[in-house]
Amino acid sequence: MDGPPPLRASDLTVRYGERVAVDRLSFTVRPGEIYGLLGSNGAGKTSTIKSVVGLVRPDGGEVLVFGRDVRRDGLLVKSQVGYVPETSLLYDALTPREFLEFVASVRRLDPAAANERTHSYVAAFRLEAEFEEPILTLSNGTRQKVLLIAALLHQPPLLVLDEPLNSLDPRSVRIMKDLLRRYVAAGDRGILFSTHTMEVAERLCHRVGILDHGVLRGEGTLEALRRKVAAGDATLEEVFLRLTEEGEGVRAAVDSLGASG
Amino acid sequence: MTWRDAARLSDVAFTELSLQAIYAFRQGNVVPPDPAHRLVPRARRRVLESKGIVAFVLGILTFLAAYALRESSLATAVFRVPVPTGVFEAGVLTGLFSLDVAFLWWTGMQVLPTFLASGVMPVLEPLPIDDRTMRRAAALLYLRLFDLPALTVLFATPVLVGFSLGLWAGVAVLPGAAAAVGFALALSLVTGRFFVRRVQGSRGGGGATVVRWTYLVLWLVPAFAMFGLVTAAPDFFAFLGAVSIEGPSPTAHVLLAVFPFTLAVLPALAASGPAGLGLDPAGWLFLGVASAAYCLLAVWAIVWVLASVRQVSMVPPADPRAIPTPRIDVRTQPVLLAVLTKDLRIASRTPGYAFLILLPMLDALAIGLWTFVSAPDSSVAFGLALAAVTTAALLATFFGPAFFAIEVLAFSYGRTLPLSDRSLLAGKVLLVALMYLVASGIVLGITLVRVFDPAIFALFIVAELPAVVAASLLELGILFRRSRARGLPITNLYAGAWYAVLVSIPGVIVAGAPLVAFQAARIDGTPIGVLAMAAVAVAELAFAVPFALGREVS
Repeated sequence: MDGPPPLRASDLTVRYGERVAVDRLSFTVRPGEIYGLLGSNGAGKTSTIKSVVGLVRPDGGEVLVFGRDVRRDGLLVKSQVGYVPETSLLYDALTPREFLEFVASVRRLDPAAANERTHSYVAAFRLEAEFEEPILTLSNGTRQKVLLIAALLHQPPLLVLDEPLNSLDPRSVRIMKDLLRRYVAAGDRGILFSTHTMEVAERLCHRVGILDHGVLRGEGTLEALRRKVAAGDATLEEVFLRLTEEGEGVRAAVDSLGASG
Repeated sequence: MTWRDAARLSDVAFTELSLQAIYAFRQGNVVPPDPAHRLVPRARRRVLESKGIVAFVLGILTFLAAYALRESSLATAVFRVPVPTGVFEAGVLTGLFSLDVAFLWWTGMQVLPTFLASGVMPVLEPLPIDDRTMRRAAALLYLRLFDLPALTVLFATPVLVGFSLGLWAGVAVLPGAAAAVGFALALSLVTGRFFVRRVQGSRGGGGATVVRWTYLVLWLVPAFAMFGLVTAAPDFFAFLGAVSIEGPSPTAHVLLAVFPFTLAVLPALAASGPAGLGLDPAGWLFLGVASAAYCLLAVWAIVWVLASVRQVSMVPPADPRAIPTPRIDVRTQPVLLAVLTKDLRIASRTPGYAFLILLPMLDALAIGLWTFVSAPDSSVAFGLALAAVTTAALLATFFGPAFFAIEVLAFSYGRTLPLSDRSLLAGKVLLVALMYLVASGIVLGITLVRVFDPAIFALFIVAELPAVVAASLLELGILFRRSRARGLPITNLYAGAWYAVLVSIPGVIVAGAPLVAFQAARIDGTPIGVLAMAAVAVAELAFAVPFALGREVS
């Protein structure tokens, strides 16, 4: 494809005071690709994602969504992105229907299309019983479903998902995985997917980037990463631990727990 | 475990409750920039200050009532109604007990949603603590919500009434004061539970929306108790005067059986004897049975409250009624209306915001109704109606910035939507304009019932509208520029409240300028005054629109 990629971050840097959360990070989400951003807690995944959706103002570098700068063309970029945050802090006083009405209105969706998609997603995630309940009363998993529907409602060409499968029941996880694979199969869409669950990333993502203390330690397909650390048939988890040099640390931590673990 | 353990548990829970009440972190509010170790002491101090203010108001009311009791000629002097001393004393104490119940209940309605939503008691449930201690801890926590105000009622009332009417009257007033506290605590718990289930946890749909807004209007009514009492006092004392002249009668017997008059009669009897109270044998019977019943009811209310707090605090915030088949569809709206609808829906489940929206309307209703007290077609009535519109404009404008705090609820998520600053700002201004128009419409409706000229009055309302819009644009425009420049939520009710108040000042000046112009120019006739007002308002709007919605705003 000749057009600009769904997402390109170049030398992205985010600081919180003295602490550098993301350090000159560069990566690209290609058309038709699910790109997994992997890292331990505090590795900089959420800061990276917040920079992509315009919640954090980067201290350096740039983020382009389909060639448009997030800072300069904020509104246009937001209309092309569907975002699921890590924590489901929503308008708790609204019901899912009221929340989705607000989102659909702000996104200026065609009423018929909005309704049709709402019907499909609500049925798929079995959200009917909670559709008129205030979000305040919903479980974390149900809130996550509401966020996923809100992110998919306008069929954005770029999905940015921060730990989207947390709290979901196994059925919804399966639906979501299949849905995401099909979503990018058309070829022109892209997904940035953050997780620290290696099994999910291994099965779902076309390529992954491994973040450690804000720095990209490795990037590519699982095969490419295996080659990089010279581990023939290692799992992504093993590759991850080698790249982040945490393998020894994990063993020491387990040993220190002794029998109490 | 002992009461001491329960007290220790309730103290931990009270600290958490204070923190949530002041900073609302569990509602997604952002952490203020101050050092973290200062947050808890500050939260506890602010909660103490809030309780102190309510206690102070109750103390002042008790003092005023005690002062009035020493001056029984007041009824004749102020209300121009001849009332026997004992009846006057019972009437004053009826008013005092009513206000005690109203203020304590209002306090409860303010804090109960926070208490129940904060989940402080459920957090303790998994700990290995026996049932009795948990129940005690919950009861103590609940009592701490009311401690200063309730103690003020329980101590100040007998002391001050005793000082005015003598020792035995001071003793005899105690059942009434205690019953007022007991009933207020029980009412708070009942309405708090209703709030959690049927307002905060209410499902969508038209019927539920009506229930929510009805509750929220009722929620505000105790705030107008003082106003209502002052308005109703002349009629009430006239009624008491008429009943006392009539002597023992069915009306007098019913009156003796109605709280709080029943328990207000006891200190009056102790101080001034039964003269004028309609106490024939049947009257004594009514008084005795009703007094005993209310005392028992108050005791039962206290026992029920203490036993139920734990259970109520565990109530899940969901409407327990059967779930109807929901309508799985969404209706889209133009963006401005979507912002407005979203805010109204949030407000309908959030008393704090509903308060801001309803206050100008209830204020307009209260002042508008006052016109009925004055003579028809008098200039006083017209002046009052204009005052109602004026306060509606000023109140709507003053509270405008607070509506941005709604955006704090889902600050992060909201900013990822393609909602321009201009649309968001215009949506908020639309809400403020709507509040002004509804409040003014209420006054206009009342004036239509009266005889003075509604046309000029309607013009007055329309002439002020551009100024209300201009004031909102100015305030919200300033807030937007500041918050966007600093990358902060637009307002944070606690951490940044001072700034929201600060920007209200130019807003109130802009809203008030046309009113000043009206007063200055009406010397040459009311139509000239309205014209001058409209000219100033339109000029202000012409300045405010480019400032708030100009090219610099996205």
